[in-house]
Parts: sequence; structure tokens; C-alpha cells
Amino acid sequence: MQQHSLLQRFIAKPEFGPLVLLVLELAVFWSLNPSFLSLQNIGNTLAFTVELGLIALAMTLLMTSGEFDLSVGSVFGFSAVLMWTLFNSGVVSLELAFLAAMAVSLFIGYVNGWFVTKLNIPSFLVTLGMLLVVRGTALYVTDGFPQRTWSAEGSWLASALVGSFSIGGLRLYMSVFWFALAAIGTHYLLTQTKAGNWIQASGGNPNAARARGVNVSRTKIALFMFSSAMAALAGIISSIRTSAANPNSGTGYELEVIAMVVIGGTVLTGGRGTIIGTVLGIFILRIMRNGIVMIGVPGLAYNIFIGAIILGMMALHSWLERRHNAGT
Amino acid sequence: MAAEELVRMENINKFYGRIHALRDVSLRIDRHEVVGLLGDNGAGKSTLIKVLSGAVPLTSGDIFVKGKKVEIKRTTDAIANGIETIYQDSALVPQLSIARNLFLGREPIKGPRFLNRLDHQTMGAVARQLLKKVGITKDIPPETPITALSGGERQAVAIARAMQFDSDLIILDEPTNNLGVAETQGVLRFVREARDTGHSCIFIAHNIHHVFQVVDRIMVMRGGKLVADDIDPKKTTIEQVERVITGEHLLH
Repeated sequence: MQQHSLLQRFIAKPEFGPLVLLVLELAVFWSLNPSFLSLQNIGNTLAFTVELGLIALAMTLLMTSGEFDLSVGSVFGFSAVLMWTLFNSGVVSLELAFLAAMAVSLFIGYVNGWFVTKLNIPSFLVTLGMLLVVRGTALYVTDGFPQRTWSAEGSWLASALVGSFSIGGLRLYMSVFWFALAAIGTHYLLTQTKAGNWIQASGGNPNAARARGVNVSRTKIALFMFSSAMAALAGIISSIRTSAANPNSGTGYELEVIAMVVIGGTVLTGGRGTIIGTVLGIFILRIMRNGIVMIGVPGLAYNIFIGAIILGMMALHSWLERRHNAGT
Repeated sequence: MAAEELVRMENINKFYGRIHALRDVSLRIDRHEVVGLLGDNGAGKSTLIKVLSGAVPLTSGDIFVKGKKVEIKRTTDAIANGIETIYQDSALVPQLSIARNLFLGREPIKGPRFLNRLDHQTMGAVARQLLKKVGITKDIPPETPITALSGGERQAVAIARAMQFDSDLIILDEPTNNLGVAETQGVLRFVREARDTGHSCIFIAHNIHHVFQVVDRIMVMRGGKLVADDIDPKKTTIEQVERVITGEHLLH
């Protein structure tokens, strides 16, 4: 192994590609429409970005351990519906309804993890089944109608989760703070802790990890629960911010979240993951959605660009991987 | 010199369904010895090793470690009893660094427990020391991922790990398969190194020449039975051992 220069090592990092893409994206949109970087637009974009971002952070850990979760979009919709249905029934307080929704989401994650690790069923099939069960339940209990949410005004829980505040002319929600905290926390967990070592080993070579005494099943179950809980939290935050708890909300989010994670450089097959990359991936996709509209491209064309980004980034990652393995 | 017993297996039987893979195998491994385990394909070598390493449960029989009867039901039981098995390529997590692999499952923690923080410094220092000990003279930083290592270097890391973590018995399953000449010599050197630092080894290889270069004693299996357990490589020729493996010697 020859020593590489600092620059070379920086370029070889999996986060380098996404970083370049993000900078490029910002530059292009800003040059085409200067109000793209206005405080108002930044504030608007951030609000929803961090909600999906919370799920993407958890998904990064889960995918590093070699699994993924297609049920996050349905949990996103269901948890908010559950919380508001409980609260509106007048039986429980908002805090209790929140705790109940979070507990149910943890249970959903546990069931996902149990099926995957104990019955050895691929996570694709397990979480696809769970997606239908959870979405179906949300639609059934609400008859398909949105739940009332306006009564959250003034609740301390609502302010803590999505209270808004202004820095200069920039209006931000508390959720931005929670997202930043979660990003730092998950990055620390993955790179600096024993648990992070276990997560990577569980995805990289589960048999070797198991032989060393790593509890692969428990690691994966915990990550399924974390992913479900983050999806529920995001759904609840979103419902309070938009004052809407729609049983259909979150449809398709699972794929957008997985796209964010893989664009950032985390491998679909497990073993290697990067939170920094995921944060970049989150912004790449959300800024694309926002920027396309800002420069006047019809919103319906959005998916063309997203698809192209995914394909392009996958090609880049695969090329870097081959170079890396060749030792150059 | 009275040899000290390390592992003893008594009347081990293993059935896979109706296939009788191990037939009343009894053997003994002493401290500080490298034992070669030979046999043709299907002779029962792998099954025997899998039983001892906890990869498959035995049907009947007893295993003793340092004179005490032990239950080996899974791989972690074997490791807890000081028995470490190094399979070709499968023992390491390719994406993780050398240091992270060495400490996998026994990571040292620094600072308050709830922070669960890896002690990177200790891991790096120990890894550097170990790599030197197994004779990797090239300057390989402990942060290097396994994917960047050659086959021989990977075996070296796996052996280094077994040596570090108080494994009394290191089982090497075909460690020289697919390796070049220089790398094979390296692996054989690690095996001698392991013995000299107080470990015992069971060395399984198709290549009898490799086995002859490094072992103190040779055991041979045939048809699920242990047919020879004390062949001295210094007093025996490779041809003689080959005849035991194939069963030809019975005809003469």
C-alpha cells in the first residue's frame, strides 16, 4: 500500500461524489433563479427535508447491517393517524397518545426484525407485507378520512417537536434541531462505538460476526425498531406541522428514503454505511425537488431527474469501488 | 517430557440423517503441539472440525477441555473454551479494518460506559504489535480494510486474532488453499509462531507437503474413523502417509 496524498484520500471517500453533486446542484439552481437561496425558500425546504431525513438516518444504520425497511412510509402515515385518533377520542392526553403511537411503532419494528432474523425471511418480503398491513390498518380505522389535528395548538409537546422560531429572517422548526442531533448521534454510533462495529460486521459478514460472539439478530431487531420509531416520529412531526393526519400520507416515502441513503454511498447489501453521505443524499434529493420547481421545470418531471441521479451515482460508486478493490 | 492434555474427544459419533459421518472417534491434543489432520474427501475431517468448533452439534460422545467435560453447541461455546477455528476467508469482515476485525466482539471501551465508545488507540496499538508478531514486516496500518489485503495477509490477521485472545487451540481449515508459494511459507511460519508462544494447532490441508513442514504429529481419517493418530512426520515418508489415507497399506 503506497501512501496517498490528503487530496487523493479525500476524493476516494464515498462521500466525495455526493458532495460534488450537491455543490453543483446548488450552483446551478442559484444561478438560474437567485431566489432559490432566499431565506424563505431555505426555511420552506428545510421543514420537510428533515422529516424525511430522520427516517433516512435510521435507514442508513439498518442498511449498513444488511437489511432495509419498506414499511417506513406506512408507519409515517399510521403513527400520526393513531396518535390523533386516540387524542380526538378524548380518552387520553396528547402526551399519552404520542407515547402510545411510538410504542406501537417500536412493536411494528420488532415484528419486522423478528420475522427477518428468526424466520430468515428476506427483509424485502417481510417489510413489504408489513407495509400493506400498516397502511391497511390506517385506512381501515379512519375509513380513509384525515383526522382532526388543530387541537394541538399550545401543547408543549407540539412546540418541542415542531415549534417554529426565527433566526434573522430565517424561519425554522424545532425539527431541524432534532434532525441535527439525530445526525450527530447516528454518526457517532456508527463510527465511534462498539455497537457501530457490530452493525457493520452484521452486514459485512454475519457468520464471522456471529462466530465472534456478536449478537447479529439482536442488532438487526434493534435497528428495525429504531427505523420504525424514527418513521413514526417523522410522521407525527409532519402531521403537527401541516395540521393534517392523512392515512395515505407517507406513500412512496420508503423508496425516496432508500434512494437518499444509497446516493450518499451506503451499500444496499450491507457492511458499509455513511451518515455524512446520507445527509448529503437527503439534501441532494430534496433540493432537486425544490429547485426544479423554482426554475420552472414542471413538477411532474421531477422523477426523471431523481432517477437519473440515482443511476448516475450508482455508476460512480461502482466505479470507485472497483478502483478501490484494485488498490489504485 | 510428559505432555499436558489440552483437548480430548471420546467416542464421538455424528449422523447426518442416516449418514454415519463420524464413527467412534477418540483423540487427544496436547499443549504446544501442531497436529496435522489428513484424509480424503468425505473422510470426516470437516465434520470432526465442525463438531469441535461448534458449527454442528455431535450426536453422541464427550469433549473434554483441560480435563473438564464441556458442552459445545455453538461457535461461541468453542471460543469460550479457547478453541478458535479459522476457515478460509470466512472468519473476517471484509469491509472492516484490521483493528476492528481483531477486536470484533471484544471491543475495548473508553470513557463512560453509556457512551459505548471504542478505544481506537488501544486497538491500533495492539493491532500493530500483533501484525509484527505474526511476521508481517510490511508497514500495514491497522486501519486498512481487509479487502485491501492479500489472501496470506488475511490468514495472518485471523491467526493473529486467535493468538491474541487466549485461544489454546487454533484449528486451521485449509489455510494454504489458493495461496502462492511465499504466502504459504508465511502462513506456515505463523503456525510455528503460534506453537512457540504456547498455542496448539490442528492443521488441515490437502497438500501433504505443507502439513509435513509444520506438524509434530499426523492423524489420518478414513470413512468417518480415525485410522491413525500418531504418525511421526520425521520417521515417515509422504508415500507411506498417502497409503494410510487411501487405505492401500491394508492390502500389503
